[in-house]
Amino acid sequence: MKIPPSDRGTIMEGTAFILLTQGIHGISYGLVLFLAASGLSMIFGLMDILNLSHAYLFMLAAYFAFSIAQVTNFWVALLLAPLAIACIGMLLERYLIKPVHPFGHTPELVLTLGIGMVLLEVVKSIWGTTMLTVMPPESLQGFIPIGYLKYPVYRIFIIVFTIIILCGLHQLFRRTRFGTIVRAATVNSDMVSALGINVPRIYTLFFGFGTWLAGLAGVVVAPLLSVHPGLADQVGLDAFVVVVLGGLGSLWGAFVASILIGLLNTYGIQLIPTVAPLITFSLMVLVLTVKPTGLFGDRQ
Amino acid sequence: MVILQTKNLCHDFSGMKVLSQVNLEILQGERHAVIGPNGAGKTTLFNVITGTYHAKGGSVQFKGADVTRTEPYQLSRMGMGRSFQITSIFLRQSAFQNIRLAVLSRRKIRYNLFKPIDSINIITNETEQILRQINLYDERNVPASTLSYGKQRSIELGMAIATQPDLLMFDEPTAGMSKEETHNAVRLIRRLTEGKTMVIVEHDMEVVFSLADRITVLHHGEILLTGKPEEIKNDRRVRSAYLGDSEV
Amino acid sequence: MKITKGHFIIGLLLLAALAAYPFFSGVVYTNLFVRFLIFALFGASLNLLLSYTGLLNFGHAMFFGVGGYATALLLEHMPNAGLLTALFVGASAGALLALIVSPMLVRVRDTAFALMTLALNQLLFIACLKLRGITYGEDGVGGFSIPPLNLFGLVSVDITHPYNFFYFSLCIVGLGLFLMWYTTRTPFGSIMIGIRDNPNRVNYLGFNLPFSKTVIFTISGFFAGSAGALFALFQNLVSPDAVMHIQNSFTAIIMVFVGGIGTFIGPIVGAAIMTGLENLAVRYTEKIFLFNGLLLIMVVMFFRGGFVGLYNLAKAKWGSK
Repeated sequence: MKIPPSDRGTIMEGTAFILLTQGIHGISYGLVLFLAASGLSMIFGLMDILNLSHAYLFMLAAYFAFSIAQVTNFWVALLLAPLAIACIGMLLERYLIKPVHPFGHTPELVLTLGIGMVLLEVVKSIWGTTMLTVMPPESLQGFIPIGYLKYPVYRIFIIVFTIIILCGLHQLFRRTRFGTIVRAATVNSDMVSALGINVPRIYTLFFGFGTWLAGLAGVVVAPLLSVHPGLADQVGLDAFVVVVLGGLGSLWGAFVASILIGLLNTYGIQLIPTVAPLITFSLMVLVLTVKPTGLFGDRQ
Repeated sequence: MVILQTKNLCHDFSGMKVLSQVNLEILQGERHAVIGPNGAGKTTLFNVITGTYHAKGGSVQFKGADVTRTEPYQLSRMGMGRSFQITSIFLRQSAFQNIRLAVLSRRKIRYNLFKPIDSINIITNETEQILRQINLYDERNVPASTLSYGKQRSIELGMAIATQPDLLMFDEPTAGMSKEETHNAVRLIRRLTEGKTMVIVEHDMEVVFSLADRITVLHHGEILLTGKPEEIKNDRRVRSAYLGDSEV
Repeated sequence: MKITKGHFIIGLLLLAALAAYPFFSGVVYTNLFVRFLIFALFGASLNLLLSYTGLLNFGHAMFFGVGGYATALLLEHMPNAGLLTALFVGASAGALLALIVSPMLVRVRDTAFALMTLALNQLLFIACLKLRGITYGEDGVGGFSIPPLNLFGLVSVDITHPYNFFYFSLCIVGLGLFLMWYTTRTPFGSIMIGIRDNPNRVNYLGFNLPFSKTVIFTISGFFAGSAGALFALFQNLVSPDAVMHIQNSFTAIIMVFVGGIGTFIGPIVGAAIMTGLENLAVRYTEKIFLFNGLLLIMVVMFFRGGFVGLYNLAKAKWGSK
């Protein structure tokens, strides 16, 4: 078919715009992924715990958001749901994970796996297995025009919101006493406790903080994807991949890997839809085969 | 005859120089000690030779072959045995099982899936013989974790001996021992290494001077000098290296 | 342990009880027992990695699944292949997969290892769903012909009969368990335990760690594959959800932990407990994962030795009187 010269440019521009919007899609998903993964990565970095129930806490937050938003609105959910998740996280750490920690990685991984299984069933029995939708608040509905195309405001909100949280995180670790203690404890926890600081309590708080971030990610993701029991597998597994791919304990690595996975996912679904679900795991397997410590990690 | 030789060996940890231009020669049949003040690079030198790290520069030659990039298990098969400064044994298993694993390696039984291990008599006999040598025969069947520190160290040495290496590398074999334990350990080492080639890294000067035929002094990652114990004892540079860097 | 006359008699009685079992229990409980047998074999193959070599494999279902698919696909396309051939092909497929993934797994340790196995399992699960041309997607491969067991051309036994299948799987699982137990007694078994307790020292003693681990994976994969193959013959159906799902990997881990980690008998006891309890639980609740999850948490929190650990504790307390 012959394309008139005047239209050729438009089509090419159209393709470019699709690629661009897909790029923004990828980045917004990647940032949500990072929000979910950052807690996981930081908890591993400080406490040497890989919490397999993290993904399920993330999912639980999305369900909390659904229920809270039904009664009140999205903004209240964004405030309350992550706090509730943080409380659950701290209880789990204090009463289940901490007692098992001295016995090594294997029981700990298996324990958090068990917690995840319980959380999944609890969610199913309270909310059922149907897909639930959470509407974004009215101010974030609608589209922003970018050239010919209209881009959903909510995705832009996600990008801005996550960046604000990231800057907040940065400030927290640089400026506050809590941040200083945490950074010191990452290097040498015995020394910190010798200085008279209650390290176990810091750990519990920190665990709560990490799960709070997962909670934030869960609420933010709720209007983007539908809320369903498969959410933990869908996004949560990606979050684990991100943490391992970036290098266990390396927050910067997790960030790079998040954006990478986010982009690969969205472009993958567009360009090679049949094998797209394989991309994430293949990439992880490939990277770890070549470099067992992940992209930016120095330990296993 | 030279059994081990390092040529201009260099190593650093993310830019921090730990070894520079180390030229070490170990002769067949000698007991050679490497000494030096804290942070002199002794343990690093040891780990580079035994394959824990691969040297960033220079080379290591063992029995005439270049082993700079050789993996620890290959070095062990070539006849280099080592012990660890921090006891590295199989704590959940008995002394017998600990030593037996080393004997399996010496007998090159690595992938035998066809015969129950208890029925291979040569392995059992050889293991028991070594247990007698390290005075642990009577306690051979209790878990190593319940043995005293000194006895765990004996297992550590026993495993290194059991592979019957041509070159024995001992990394601070008396680390953390009491005076009496140290005394016993020195006697044990002397007996076990009779007529063998040994390199020992040691802090305790008494141990060094009672064991070594030749001594190399390492300071700031460089070899200060190599010589007989008397020469080392009377050397001014060695003294200042230990007492303080007055001349630097 | 010495084998006494008493052991011999107990063994004979046990064998007689097993032989008579189908006639007393009926078809439903015979099939339940076969389920237990298959999972005992599967759990024991994971146990070689978990208890004997200290490798937390979160993706053991990939070997089980590949074994099941290999057997099912062979019989689907070559209905004339013998029964034992089909079984062997399944087991070999498990071993082959283990050989293929080993280079990716031998260098990573601990947490990264666990997640890597999880990722590989998930990869194969998705592959089974997506490669419809080969695997028929989520419907799976089913309804293939199951050949009779042909013994030296003399007798031909129809194993689609539940009782016959019971005896068949009893023999196969018994043989598999024996071989694995034997493996742990050989010099190589000692090296496995060495790798569990102190891999670094094993390396310095002259054993090639990556290669040794590859051998262990292959052995474990072989037996997991044979469990999968048995499962395919038993159900006459393999689907991604039934054999390849990550939940299957978790089930095997639960069995090892509930039965007692660190012992050979652990996963077998675990398989018995879990099959029994599941059979009871499904009558009262659909939330089998809730039940499994709670059980797992309880075991890890309070009885880290599992059931075998409890038994030993009880024996030490009351048995010595």
